[in-house]
Amino acid sequence: MLTIAIAKGRLQGEALALLSRAGVNLSAADLASRKLTVEDESRQYRMIFVKPSDVPVYVEHGIADCGVVGRDVVVESNADLLLPLDLQIARCKMIVATTSDGELMNGGMLRVATKYPRIATAYFGERGVPVEIIPLVGSVELAPVLGLADCIVDLMETGRTLRENGLRVVAEILDSSGRLVVNRAAYQLKSAAIANLVEVLSQALRNERHCGND
Amino acid sequence: MARRWLCLCVNSVFIVFANPLPVTRSQAAGFVLVESPMHLSRIPSGLRYYVGEAARQRRAVEDCAISVFSGWSYQEIDTPAVDYYSLFEQGMGPEAQSSFRFVDADARLLALRPDVTSSVARASATLLAETPRPLRLCYAASVFHQQPRTQAEWRRETTQLGCELIGAAGIAADVEPLLIVVETLNRLGLAGNYRITINNIDIFNGIADHLGLDRDSRERLRSLIDVRDTSALTELLTGLAVPEDERDLFVQVTRLSGKQGIIEAAKKVITNSRSNAALKSLEETWSVISGLGLAESFEIDLGDVSSLDYYTGLLFKVYVRGSGIRVGRGGRYDGLTSRFGRAEPATGFVLDLDELTRVVRPPEFTASRPSAAAVALAEDNVAAFREAMRRRAADERICLEL
Repeated sequence: MLTIAIAKGRLQGEALALLSRAGVNLSAADLASRKLTVEDESRQYRMIFVKPSDVPVYVEHGIADCGVVGRDVVVESNADLLLPLDLQIARCKMIVATTSDGELMNGGMLRVATKYPRIATAYFGERGVPVEIIPLVGSVELAPVLGLADCIVDLMETGRTLRENGLRVVAEILDSSGRLVVNRAAYQLKSAAIANLVEVLSQALRNERHCGND
Repeated sequence: MARRWLCLCVNSVFIVFANPLPVTRSQAAGFVLVESPMHLSRIPSGLRYYVGEAARQRRAVEDCAISVFSGWSYQEIDTPAVDYYSLFEQGMGPEAQSSFRFVDADARLLALRPDVTSSVARASATLLAETPRPLRLCYAASVFHQQPRTQAEWRRETTQLGCELIGAAGIAADVEPLLIVVETLNRLGLAGNYRITINNIDIFNGIADHLGLDRDSRERLRSLIDVRDTSALTELLTGLAVPEDERDLFVQVTRLSGKQGIIEAAKKVITNSRSNAALKSLEETWSVISGLGLAESFEIDLGDVSSLDYYTGLLFKVYVRGSGIRVGRGGRYDGLTSRFGRAEPATGFVLDLDELTRVVRPPEFTASRPSAAAVALAEDNVAAFREAMRRRAADERICLEL
């Protein structure tokens, strides 16, 4: 049996819908329940539901063989994982945004508020920009508005939250979407089961694209 | 009689008493409780104790491995635990940066050894230069990393069980270390529960040459193959003007691991001469493995491109059921000894003792031990000690009642 860690929240619904199209179905009772671990109807898979940032942890340690989580979370975690499949769900961008009138880099130093300190540090580091990272856990958009930071590094889906808070995008850092992530040891020790999961998911994605074109 | 129970948690040691002890009793038992300052009770992250059964089991795994190595005529070598940082930098490249560093009295930079192979390679080029080849050396030695490579490999001190075969080229010298790993794992009761993946790094090098990649694109190609990121790899190859059918097959053969079929598929898409020679060598290695009836435990994994600058031919990884991280790795590193002034072919491997100890089940490999015979120290200490010594001479386990 394969254990799949699924990120709760934004991505969970789309992930379960995709798995279902790939023939991995949860019973209605399990879907409605609040259980954190459930088996699918074929009993080939056990799903565990954890916070997005915990998915790479469970998978890297091999407690879960694979996981479904956004690329943003994988990059930020710096976990040593395999990324065999882009599931093309929960698409969004990691961006740098600042207040509409704000002039970025007017001093010698940027204050950056973010939920992604590692990504932000790497992005500005590569460009030789000195930064002070201010780690926040929510409502990051508020930071430049109230003067806590000069800019933010955050995820953007539609851009609505940014606009409504008077922020504009000044740079795009990376494209994110839901990924299938796999533990390195499980990839070898359970190679047949994982190859099968990758195959049924790829097939489901191809079918979708095909339908989309019709 | 006061009894102490030691109970180990991940990073901290708690001393738990069977009963709350009145001060007088603990004093009578020979110790007094004093409050220890916080900074002394804390243990640095990534380090741990092994106590009692855990320590014994770890030792048993080590003894088992060393007995196998010695059975293949590998001589033990003990290397200094502290050496010049430049040695490790020369031997390991950028990976040496993870080591604990400090300065010597003459201000030269020292490091706690982050690997053993660098030191062995230097010794083989200097101290052991005149020793007849091939050199077969083995060790069980702790190595230290200030920053663990990944979060799952949290230990900063690990013990490597390793073999180095220096001065031998060819398929036989590639296969010997693989067979030693197989025997070690089998003797540890892990038969059927492990998988060894093999690859030849020159397949990748040939492709990178063929595509005319500069250093950055080569690293990008390597890292995408390494994490099996199919979609980004497809995109990169499209950008490099690789024809569509070749591209898709290439993505396929580097994504999946498999048996002989992987080589057949790879031959169709990989045509440059450097890669072809490497594929041929890998095929020969595979035919020896399958001829020995070991194909079940092995896979060919063309996507294993983890350490490019170290290995020069065959490379392999060892995975064991029950462990989420790789338990061992090895391969051919013909370029290493030349960095110490004497170029010669070399192969070798390391297994992670701590991770192996975690996954073995003791009864399957440990000889049963006689139960402890209590020896009372009566009025006549001499007689009691004589009895204790007699039982020890008969290899019985004893426990003096003090």
